[in-house]
Amino acid sequence: MKKLLAIVLALVMALGMFSAFAETAWDGAYMDEDDFKAYIAYDLDVVFDSISEQLGEENLAKVEAAVEEGKAAIDAATTVAEVEAAYDAAYAAILACVPTADGLYTYKKLEDSERTNILGILERYAVTTSITGMSLYENGAYQMINPRITLGTENYITGYGFGTLPEGAITEDLEYETNPDWARYYHIMETSDPGTLNAPNDQGSQVGDMYSYMQATFFGTFMNETKDGYDWVPELAKTKPEAVNDEDGDGMATTWRWEIRTGEDDGLVYTTGSELESRQAFNGRPVALEDYEFGFKLILTQANQFYRGSEFATTKTGAVVGAKDYYNATENGYNDEAWEKVGLKAYKDEADGKNYFEITFTEEQTRFYAMYYGQMYFYQPIPQEFVELVTVKNYLGFNEDTTESPVDNALSVGPYYLERWDSDQQVVYKKNPNYVFADTKYSIPGIHDKIFPAAASDKTATFTEFLAGHFDTARIPDEYLNEYRNDPRTHTTKGNSVFKLNINACDAETWEYMFGTDGVVKQTAKEDYWDIKPCMGNHHFVQALSYSINRSDLAVAKGRVPSVNYLSSNYMSDPENGMSYDATEAHEKAVAGLLEDTDGYGYSLELARDYFRLALTELEAEGAYTPGTAEEPTEIHFEIAWMYPTDEEDYHNQIKNYIETAFNDESVSGGAYKLVIDYWVGNTWSDVYYNKLMLGQYDLGFGSISGNSLDPIGFVSVLSSDQDISGSFTLNWGVDTNDPDAYPIVYNDLRWSFDALYNAVNSQVIASKGQNKPQLTIEYTPIVKNEDGTYTGSFTVASTLPDITSIEVFDIECCNYERYYNGDGNYDEAPVEFEVEAKGEGLLYVTFTVPAELAEDYATGSGTSAEPAGDTGFDLYYNLTFNGSTSNGLYYSVTDNFEVPEVAEAEATEAAAE
Amino acid sequence: MGKYVLKRILLAFFTTVIILSLTFILVKLLPFDRPIGGDQQQIAYFDKQYNLGYVYRFKLVKDAPVVEEYNAKYGEYLYRSPVERGSCFYYYKVPVMEQYVSWVKNVVTKWDWGYSKSFQPNVAASVIIMNRIWYSMRLNIISVIFSVPLGLLLGIWAALKKNTLTDHTISTMVMIFISVPSFVLICFVLRIFAYDLGWLPSTWPADTATTWTKIKGYIIPVFCLSFSSVCYYCRYTRAELCEVMESDYLLLARTKGLTRRQAIVRHALKNAMVPIFPSILGEFIGILGGSMILENLYGIPGIGKLFILSLNYKDYDILFVDMAIFTTISLLAGVVVDLSYGFIDPRIRMGAKK
Repeated sequence: MKKLLAIVLALVMALGMFSAFAETAWDGAYMDEDDFKAYIAYDLDVVFDSISEQLGEENLAKVEAAVEEGKAAIDAATTVAEVEAAYDAAYAAILACVPTADGLYTYKKLEDSERTNILGILERYAVTTSITGMSLYENGAYQMINPRITLGTENYITGYGFGTLPEGAITEDLEYETNPDWARYYHIMETSDPGTLNAPNDQGSQVGDMYSYMQATFFGTFMNETKDGYDWVPELAKTKPEAVNDEDGDGMATTWRWEIRTGEDDGLVYTTGSELESRQAFNGRPVALEDYEFGFKLILTQANQFYRGSEFATTKTGAVVGAKDYYNATENGYNDEAWEKVGLKAYKDEADGKNYFEITFTEEQTRFYAMYYGQMYFYQPIPQEFVELVTVKNYLGFNEDTTESPVDNALSVGPYYLERWDSDQQVVYKKNPNYVFADTKYSIPGIHDKIFPAAASDKTATFTEFLAGHFDTARIPDEYLNEYRNDPRTHTTKGNSVFKLNINACDAETWEYMFGTDGVVKQTAKEDYWDIKPCMGNHHFVQALSYSINRSDLAVAKGRVPSVNYLSSNYMSDPENGMSYDATEAHEKAVAGLLEDTDGYGYSLELARDYFRLALTELEAEGAYTPGTAEEPTEIHFEIAWMYPTDEEDYHNQIKNYIETAFNDESVSGGAYKLVIDYWVGNTWSDVYYNKLMLGQYDLGFGSISGNSLDPIGFVSVLSSDQDISGSFTLNWGVDTNDPDAYPIVYNDLRWSFDALYNAVNSQVIASKGQNKPQLTIEYTPIVKNEDGTYTGSFTVASTLPDITSIEVFDIECCNYERYYNGDGNYDEAPVEFEVEAKGEGLLYVTFTVPAELAEDYATGSGTSAEPAGDTGFDLYYNLTFNGSTSNGLYYSVTDNFEVPEVAEAEATEAAAE
Repeated sequence: MGKYVLKRILLAFFTTVIILSLTFILVKLLPFDRPIGGDQQQIAYFDKQYNLGYVYRFKLVKDAPVVEEYNAKYGEYLYRSPVERGSCFYYYKVPVMEQYVSWVKNVVTKWDWGYSKSFQPNVAASVIIMNRIWYSMRLNIISVIFSVPLGLLLGIWAALKKNTLTDHTISTMVMIFISVPSFVLICFVLRIFAYDLGWLPSTWPADTATTWTKIKGYIIPVFCLSFSSVCYYCRYTRAELCEVMESDYLLLARTKGLTRRQAIVRHALKNAMVPIFPSILGEFIGILGGSMILENLYGIPGIGKLFILSLNYKDYDILFVDMAIFTTISLLAGVVVDLSYGFIDPRIRMGAKK
């Protein structure tokens, strides 16, 4: 019996030891096996959720099976490495289930709602891969408004406001105003006097905002009847745009036209507040047809040196036919011949006797964008003789000796006109009785814009002035928030930009590829390499950072609106009807993962600590960090780069506190690690962009970027890691956005890279294995010298989609670039003989031969054999027809030098003597 | 004496030239600003800088060796536009010394101090200064008229009541108030009289305001501007007068039978004024200059505020004219004060040889 008992006991002990051994087999340092596996399995669910909606039945079933298999494998794994490997295998299996996009695609002409869905897919990818950065708050604010003002609406309308001027009214005098004529004017302030109203020649927003009071253009916006949105209405136009060449009936066209108002037919006249006799001649002058064209011509003529002219000429979105050529042809002044080719025309249609403005874009536009692009660059009609009278230099500004002010040098067709401009004191506008909607809108009789410099250095100055009854509106500063947040005069506004902590999530290898000595984005010297922190490359660590920030607490303390969104609420998914993208289902799905189990703004201390545990477990398993002890913890440092010195006080300490509190809690690593967050601040506000974010020289960096709020799907270009797409304005780094395997994007049952789908929805894309590809690639094989002194080289031209691509090489020029700089402005070049051999499947092999004399001549540039100068190269000229559309005179250039002839003895002696 | 005056004026002139040259060079060495945005914004911005003459623009073949030559000549390029047909625009900052030579040439040969670039675009910098200098002058003249007599009276009163409660009170108050900068004082005064009581305007009234509002508009800045001057004159006068009143010749005057009043008015005050008067003269010359911080806080459109604005706007032509005025005024004041000693007290002979 005893023996039996001993055996049983031994068996029980052995079983106990075995189970104890089995428990200790799990090597995860900071998270137990079940939790770790649950989180990794959850990642598979997130992948599945992000793509399932766009999968066809067959692929959906395959992906479901892959996910289930993956989860089973994760469950069966016994170590951290095995779990990670099981996840990787499942992820690869999911990718393999969905075919990649291959071919030519365009989704530009889809309905707005479908394009919004695609934006949602792109946003979801960006949020999951952290290339959106961590959003903190939107720059909306608590604003106090004088109760003497009746607002157009009490509820702020995104992208429109309260309708204070157009739909509002003032019912009482402002006691502080000593001029009785101005007592019912809307009293606001500027921190400085801009010195001009010439918005087309200004870079900032202040002049444009001031100019907008007296500007009218083709179309405007007014609040809708239900007071919850706004409508686009013809202003100087009489009708909405009609397509001139919508041949396929898809609602898109390159040429659009609309009826316009003129003085002759509609009584539209200019107004001025000037008392100068010469200007009074224009008071009540009818608006003529040619004034509409001249308004554009004024901006676009290069000799006028208007800032917006250069922008107008170089823009790619909403580009107008011939605009760039006209700009380039007007260095010396207006050029009527070149203007003939510009797609901006005002005319009377003899057929119906109506006046029209017609605009021709380089690319097809929808009706809304035709309306939108037709009035950019602070355009308004203006008579040429008025500009000639005041001169282009003084237009909308002061003259040299200040005897003429902007009051004298401006004409208005808008709701207000300039009444006074007392330099550095006040700018006063008066209601324009000749404005198109003068009888029904803008009942407030004027605007008094006080120049109030104290506001620039004192955050509370404007508010103090408001409380004293001197201004009609002011933002509530942080110090006064608690006191005035619930005041009946307080209103909340929505913002136009989301401020974020941008993330450098590159691992060392990716950083080297992008920013190393031969980086594709920027080349950095070895000694200036950024110290990449392994933790920043761990996706779970970044997630933990995001969960640890209490946005609500931060934003409320600063009088801002907490936000996890990448786009601020003024970005419109349906700009014509004023529908904010943030209010769409597509957006809600995109950020759902960020908000799940949080306070509604992505904050959860519990989740933050869990994800820190998860990340540390992974990082330690990878060998990225070695744990310390409670007495001497391993310190993990990273840095936040800030914009302004005041940011340290305003934000850094608070954010540092949030993150360190979450990470350094005993429950995360038991004191084995300590997180320390440092900060960096630049000298000027732009330093954080140019010296840090755009160069990958940061861990986290504060900043915001805004774009065209009516085109959010075009604006997300800045998320791309491809600098051609982002316009060199990528602020977050980590994934290659042209890699469809980095994180799955599925649309229409096909797998895409971010860049490929972005291009497809904005214009068109040539996709190959899901990646965005150029129409063709050209490779150059360097020249070799032949026995007879001639040189032979070659180009290999490959089409990505040979079925719809044809290339015609028509010239190869041998160039001496050095002589360009010493000569007449054109570099020295000579055509060379070449042969084209079609190799099939869109492959062309182009060989060329350079005669010996030409090679010898170009080899030394304008120097001598003893002292050769300059570079030579070859330009390959070709015409490309792609999908039925032909681009002529394209150009590919390479630099390659000929051998410098040996120096003859006599020549060498001569050179030495010299 | 004439030689001494000439020497002092020449010295002041050279000092002005050195100060202006250093200002020009140091200011122009500041880093170049760039807008945030894509190529479209960058090109538009740099084209504008090119039109304003701040940068060079060259059309070059991308990365051709000549770019290195240009980099060596003008420093690393500021911006390179996207490549089009093999070429692109490179933008370089115009070398500082080149700008300096051109600026000096314009000033010397044409008395052309340049034009505003962003503050009031295309307006002559000298016109902008002239439009504003009157605001600063008016304010300072009133301030001097107010502060000098008050300061002298308080000083005399304290000296006559030396070591009494009146003297101690005045001296203590003077010590306290002389330590308070005018921009701190204005914050308190604004808070009380403009915002809490609402008696005075909180900002400088515009030219269109009523006369009464304009008069009220002078009270706060004049008070704040005069405050330290009053304290200074009070302290200085008291010290000088106390010293004189203890001198032997005043005792002699009293023993000769002069009343205290006669002795003070005829002898003590006259002698005490010798060191005080030149500083009053200097103060009058100083009325041409503005008070940078005070003008900015109260929104006075004078040249003091303009100095800060021109710095903020990076409108350097205005900054240089403003700087020239401030420098000339302070150096001229120094010269006049020095020379005035000789006129006030014939015993003092400037630059005279033994």
